[in-house]
Amino acid sequence: MNARPDHSVLADQEGSARDDLLMDVRNVSLSFGGVKAITDISFDVRQGEIRAIIGPNGAGKTSMLNVINGFYTPQVGTITFRGVERRSMKPHDAVRQGIARTFQNVALFKGMSTLDNIMAGRSVLMKRNIVWQMLWRGPALREEIEHREKVEEIIDFLEIEHIRRTPVGKLPYGLQKRVELGRALAMEPSLLLLDEPMAGMNLEEKEDMSRFILDVNQQRGTTIALIEHDMGVVMDLSDRVVVLDYGKKIADGPPDEVKNSQAVIDAYLGVPH
Amino acid sequence: MFYRIAGQYKTSYGADYALFPIKQDAWLLALILVFAFVVFPLTASDFMFRALLIPVLIYALAALGLNILTGYAGQLSLGTGAFMGVGAYACYKLITIFPEMNIIGAIVLSGFFSAAAGVAFGLPSLRIKGFYLAIATLAAQFFLLWLFQKWAWLYNYNASGAIQVPNTQLFGVTITGAQAPVLAQYFFVLITVCILTAFAINITRGRIGRTWKAVRDMDIAAELVGINLMKAKLSAFFVSSYIVGIAGALFVFLWRGAAEADLFDIQLSFRVLFIAIIGGLGSILGNYLGALLIVALPVIIGTVPAAVGLPISSAMVEHLNTMIIGALIIGFLILEPHGLARLWALMREKLIIWPFPH
Ligand SMILES: Nc1ncnc2c1ncn2[C@@H]1O[C@H](COP(=O)(O)OP(=O)(O)OP(=O)(O)O)[C@@H](O)[C@H]1O
Ligand SMILES: [Mg+2]
Repeated sequence: MNARPDHSVLADQEGSARDDLLMDVRNVSLSFGGVKAITDISFDVRQGEIRAIIGPNGAGKTSMLNVINGFYTPQVGTITFRGVERRSMKPHDAVRQGIARTFQNVALFKGMSTLDNIMAGRSVLMKRNIVWQMLWRGPALREEIEHREKVEEIIDFLEIEHIRRTPVGKLPYGLQKRVELGRALAMEPSLLLLDEPMAGMNLEEKEDMSRFILDVNQQRGTTIALIEHDMGVVMDLSDRVVVLDYGKKIADGPPDEVKNSQAVIDAYLGVPH
Repeated sequence: MFYRIAGQYKTSYGADYALFPIKQDAWLLALILVFAFVVFPLTASDFMFRALLIPVLIYALAALGLNILTGYAGQLSLGTGAFMGVGAYACYKLITIFPEMNIIGAIVLSGFFSAAAGVAFGLPSLRIKGFYLAIATLAAQFFLLWLFQKWAWLYNYNASGAIQVPNTQLFGVTITGAQAPVLAQYFFVLITVCILTAFAINITRGRIGRTWKAVRDMDIAAELVGINLMKAKLSAFFVSSYIVGIAGALFVFLWRGAAEADLFDIQLSFRVLFIAIIGGLGSILGNYLGALLIVALPVIIGTVPAAVGLPISSAMVEHLNTMIIGALIIGFLILEPHGLARLWALMREKLIIWPFPH
């Protein structure tokens, strides 16, 4: 990989030695039949940081998130999350281990209310069996109320009290994205994956969303990996950026360094390889 | 006027879980229960019980079972009739093998047989959905019906091929069989249906209900928020078929008194499905409204024209009935897929803001 700037190599070596490492992606390759979506990508995510993943359309960003949360199994490579190495896992196990995500195309439960959508995010944290549920007494009711309180905190935080009971299918797109963030937060993740959280939003909505993302990171201490096309947002929010192009990593480092890297400029301007 | 929310505030999330956020809803339910438990028993004729009240309750229960699977969990089933049959045959075998067994015990247990059958035939739902799953449940319908006909052990080798409900007693009162007083049977059905409805309400509003609805609305997203699809789908088949099985046992033991295999054919499956659709998929209340409509319609067509001096033949009653139900199904599917329950919800909303238009 001759296109890779020097500092990214340094960052990698430095990264694997650090003890605040949350996740380490090693030599991951993923292809669909003949299509190579990801080719030999390695990068890490540190505890407490906001890590941006950027790149032109079709670069393999969403595929990368899908590998991380177990939706796709890469042909080659490993993912070490909180010290546990694996290649494949079931998505619901990823949630149990603390990886939550939102989707590029909103994937909410359209017929359910905002409240129910976010409560559904807590399904894995709830334990009471069907017999208690049936009776709606004692432990089942206590559990429900306990989780409801947590969910109401999220609803307050995201300022969506007014749409608590509205079926999400009826909400405008910007609010749907916010509810989806709420659902992911409800899982109390240690790593939050956001796939283009601001796509299709106007400036004001983008500012709100940026504020929420920063607050989540700072107040809750949640580590975030975020895909975003808006360069301004990426530069403002992220601590470090990894750049993909045609499934390959072409840069990795702090935002201002990455921005000035020749490989990145070429990729975004569409210079042929 | 009657519906007012002013002055009704909630002070805790616990209070917010009250079944009836609005007091008037609770009064309405209380009124209905007073009718069901007091007024009807004091006033209704045997004909009313047998032609209307008991079947409405049993069909509503069957539709409730199907609604959990189809309306809440989004898995279409065309095998309801056969699963009712499993409940009925299981109850029959339990009662005849263990004659000293309590009828309540037999009915409670018979639901587990249909639940097991439901889970077994629900396994394909882990790989296929929608239309293809409907076909798989259709296969269950035909297979089970064939079993009811061919497996003579199920009907104790009766020459007629039918099961005949034996006399059983509960607290000294005959509750099943030819001698059973209809009032006792009505109360037995009513209480069973009330209990199961309460359970269904609780399950559907809690964690398990949310996982079902999540699977219905978007199964991939459900999996990605950590919901185990296999558990969610199979638990829906289990709970649904349990209730359907109990409805089947009540159907034969507390209402028909005897049954041949053909009683559980595809017609019955469709009947219950129509009730669920007309009543409203994804609603508990709808099952009752739908059952009331479907059961009462032929009774009304059969009696009202005659009463006003316009007698029509029984064949005509049947034709009219089929035509009206067909029209209703098409109408609801096109105009109001959420059925009568949604119509009621809209009306209730209007009442809350009445007489102000907004
Ligand atoms: N399930 C799949 N089957 C086949 N090919 C796929 C699949 N998912 C992704 N790909 C291919 O992998 C490549 C990377 O896609 P991916 O969605 O990861 O890109 P992206 O960087 O998220 O792009 P965008 O900015 O448009 O969202 C594309 O060529 C895409 O067509
Ligand atoms: Mg993408």
